[in-house]
Amino acid sequence: MVEQTEDSEVRVRLGSREMSLAVSEAQMTATKALARRILREPFTKRPWSELGFFIVSGGLAGIGLVFVGITMVAGVLLAITFFGLAVLALSIRSARGFGGWTRALAHSMLGEKVDDPEPFAGRPGFLGWLQSSLRDRVGWRAVGYLALKVPWTVLGVFVAFSLWWDAFACLLRPFAGGNGGGTPVWGLVPSLFSGDSLFNGQSFDRGFAVFLLGFVFLFAAPWVMRGFVNVDRLLIRSLLGPDPTAARVRSLEQARTQTVDASAATLRRIERDLHDGTQAQLVALAMRLGMAKEKLEDADDVDLDRVRELVDEAHRGAKEAIAELRDIARGIHPPALDIGLEGALATLAARSAVPTGVSVDLRSRPTPAIEAIAYFCVAELLANVAQHAQASRASISCAQQGTWLRLVVRDDGRGGAQLSTVGSSSSGLTGLTERVHAVDGRLNLVSPPGGPTVVTVDLPLSP
Amino acid sequence: MTPEALRVAIAEDSAILRDGLVQLLVDRGFVITGAVGEPAALRSSVAQNPPDVAVIDIRMPPTFTDEGLRLALDLRSRYEGLGILLFSQYIETRYAADLLADDAAGIGYLLKDRVADVSDFVEALERVAIGGTALDPEVVTQLLGATRRTDSLSVLTAREREVLSLMAEGRSNAAIAGALVISEGAVEKHVANIFAKLDLPVSENDHRRVLAVLRFLES
Repeated sequence: MVEQTEDSEVRVRLGSREMSLAVSEAQMTATKALARRILREPFTKRPWSELGFFIVSGGLAGIGLVFVGITMVAGVLLAITFFGLAVLALSIRSARGFGGWTRALAHSMLGEKVDDPEPFAGRPGFLGWLQSSLRDRVGWRAVGYLALKVPWTVLGVFVAFSLWWDAFACLLRPFAGGNGGGTPVWGLVPSLFSGDSLFNGQSFDRGFAVFLLGFVFLFAAPWVMRGFVNVDRLLIRSLLGPDPTAARVRSLEQARTQTVDASAATLRRIERDLHDGTQAQLVALAMRLGMAKEKLEDADDVDLDRVRELVDEAHRGAKEAIAELRDIARGIHPPALDIGLEGALATLAARSAVPTGVSVDLRSRPTPAIEAIAYFCVAELLANVAQHAQASRASISCAQQGTWLRLVVRDDGRGGAQLSTVGSSSSGLTGLTERVHAVDGRLNLVSPPGGPTVVTVDLPLSP
Repeated sequence: MTPEALRVAIAEDSAILRDGLVQLLVDRGFVITGAVGEPAALRSSVAQNPPDVAVIDIRMPPTFTDEGLRLALDLRSRYEGLGILLFSQYIETRYAADLLADDAAGIGYLLKDRVADVSDFVEALERVAIGGTALDPEVVTQLLGATRRTDSLSVLTAREREVLSLMAEGRSNAAIAGALVISEGAVEKHVANIFAKLDLPVSENDHRRVLAVLRFLES
């Protein structure tokens, strides 16, 4: 049974099965849009700005390559003297300049925004400057760009630019007649269509064929051009943008600073805990015992009740000090971790004020550092849940995913948690993020108002 | 015991210690004019009900660094004759230097541990309340350790060094005599020898001679 549906779709029913034969309306619209786009493309601004960019930046790169090439050769030839090295350094520094101009061109003509690479940081003194210049990765990458860009431009002009040229030559030929309108003489076109057979005839058919060919060229040219420009964009992004190695070094430096800061903060916290808690407890305890001792010295008149009271208070203080010390020690290294992450997380869940489920799926034991970070993350997150979330249930899941350890802590509370990144107000979550970043991990927080809150922490298993 | 009860104000942010101190001092017959947990509260307490001596913890809110020290310097410049006993879990020689910059009268700087020896502590507090000096032995040890005058000190006998240390803590001749179990006359002789050997100006006042010794050690 065949039936025509409203959206010009033909459906064939085979028993209970239904198959779609014809092109759906959406597909047809897409095809039409593509055709329209191909037809309109030569008359939009974009191919022209791309062509303009290709020519201008090609010219700039040509000048750059000649300049850098000559100075570099001169520098190498003179390298036995100091002067030669200085010329070489200047040559590399100038490549940086050409790179900057190319980025500016790409930005203004293509709208391609490429971040500036790290600025040149010369070491103090002329020798320092020389050494830094000669080892400037950004400069050398710019030299590499110039060296690749120039042949690419030559090829592009040969292929794409000639397509434009020949498109107009063919389109104008029937009107200008003879060779006045020009024949496809550029680039690859004449070799594809051997000129003699196609273009030298005078018949109407041949003239019409050439005219049609002109149209084909006209509509093909923008796309070929775009291919060349896109490769150039790629070159600019990868060679003239920020150095990935340098970015990596910077992020490592940042992580290291955070680690150092975090451990300093941890030490400060421990010191505060000891100072305010245990030390004060012990001083008070010693004081009470001192008072009791003095009261006992006068054997004739011992106020036994008072002494008992003092000893009682001291005894209580001693027990409190022991409990506080235990808590502080646990904050430094959780003894529960000695039996493994699974047991430690179960202990945390059991101690949590909100009923918490645990699922752990690990094939091997992570390193102690990763285990400790995972533990403190979960401890902090559960503490947050208990304090802020107003949740009735929480869950911890800890699973190995490839080379990553994925921790997920979820609660059914009111949501709205945020990672505060403003100022120095170091919320627990921000502290966690720093801890996680320190080992190149990731922390992701999803907490829409109304909940639920899901925090996902990914830690590398082999940092 | 002094004939008239000495009046004490306390600024200490640890509630356990504050309560303990109050208990101890009341037990020993002092009158507590105020026991507070932060600097501003002590300021108003002292203004309303001036004590003879203020016991001040160095680390207090809000920054838990040297609030107590700054409070002490401020109170000293405002209330003449107010004794200050700084109370800390660590000894920072620099704090002692700040505190004793121009005068050692009515100044004390003790480790909190010292309350364990109740009588010594009470004695030191009384000394500060009546314009004397009480420096923690730890302060004196640090000063002796840091001094560049080791050459001059090497001419002292072992006993004279002991006397020097106790003198620097602010103790009177009688107290030194008691501590070393020697006669007061012997102490006087040692003190005279020390001043002569170190070429220090002789002074009658206990706190002046503390200052003289400290200046000598610091120079």
